[in-house]
Amino acid sequence: MRTRVIAPTLAAAFALAASATLLSQAAPAGQGARGGGARGGAPAAAAASAPAPAKDLSGIWMMRNPPGKNGPWTNFTYTDPMKAPPALTEWGQAQFKLAKDSNGGNYTLDETNDPVLTKCYPPGVPRVYFHPYPFEVIQTPKQTLLVYEYDHWMRRVHTDGRALPTDPDLIWMGTSVGRWVDDHNFQVETVGFNEKTWLDRLGHAHSDQLKVTENFRRIDRDHLELDIKMEDPKALARPWVTTFYYENRPQWELGEISCSGDYLDWTQVEKGGKEYKR
Amino acid sequence: MTRKLSFLFGLIAVLVIGAGPALAHHGGAAFDQSKTQTLTGTVTQLDFVNPHVVVWFDVKGADGTTTKWSGWLTAPNKLQRAGWTKNTLKPGDMLTVVGNQQKNGSPVLQIRKIAGPEGDLPTFEQ
Repeated sequence: MRTRVIAPTLAAAFALAASATLLSQAAPAGQGARGGGARGGAPAAAAASAPAPAKDLSGIWMMRNPPGKNGPWTNFTYTDPMKAPPALTEWGQAQFKLAKDSNGGNYTLDETNDPVLTKCYPPGVPRVYFHPYPFEVIQTPKQTLLVYEYDHWMRRVHTDGRALPTDPDLIWMGTSVGRWVDDHNFQVETVGFNEKTWLDRLGHAHSDQLKVTENFRRIDRDHLELDIKMEDPKALARPWVTTFYYENRPQWELGEISCSGDYLDWTQVEKGGKEYKR
Repeated sequence: MTRKLSFLFGLIAVLVIGAGPALAHHGGAAFDQSKTQTLTGTVTQLDFVNPHVVVWFDVKGADGTTTKWSGWLTAPNKLQRAGWTKNTLKPGDMLTVVGNQQKNGSPVLQIRKIAGPEGDLPTFEQ
């Protein structure tokens, strides 16, 4: 049934491209809007960046795919689902068949069983990176805080030399420890997840055996690469790895985007109703 | 397979349309991605609310009747960073929008492009 959308979708895409003569592409950030932004406009495209400071990730980072790297699928999954889907175990495949995603465009809000969209569950790790909002790194001597604009989720990464817990409590965002591998690579290991979240926005499942390893590599002052490795012997036949790309946004500050009742009310708005609370 | 194909061509649409960064906390399955339409109307209300900014506007038909439309954009924090405020569009402003309508025929639009009295408005932050 869903294959029927192929031709119309493409037709619409070209039709909209043609409509550019009526409405040109969106104006650059900070321009064309009456009044300007309370937080100021976004910075201009990054010029040649200064070198990265040593052992310093602090600042606000926004995912931006460089030309030729990754693709729009980074809005909802880790690797190109057509060319490089994850290797799932039998259990992982069975769980994935039960998933009814919204972000991939397959199900409406009324139909999806995405735990974030239907229950406002925390996104888990590393799914939190798919929310199209920035995150901020705050470093202190014994811990590094990863603060995500989405729902103001915060992860505490212990850097005091402690080991990962061997019998962790099973929580939404896991328990993390981190260390500097060298001046520009910060490695974070996280374990202890409950099984209520999805790995990504397409509905790939994980178990409580999930271990996530993130390597934050500051390329220069303005650019960050994040290597993510997911290992889960129950859900994944092989580790699932990817690299995401981020740009520094020194003029931004984190705002508010809440998975409150507003999220759930949106199901009515999407159906054409007007029943959401202001 | 059908799930993958739908997803693939959704991606192609995004690429061709040039929608850029993710627009929403959810997908667009409720909206007719096979057709876009352009509407011109008069703003009656701008709701700068979580999780999506909503523009309400009246569109006059050829027969003289008026239809009350709503169109949704990305999140208010993202539009703020692009330069919007809650006063960017005011009641009485003329606007033109391009977008995808709700499949069930309701006058609700997933806005792809928008222009107000002073010209094009950004739909996402850079």
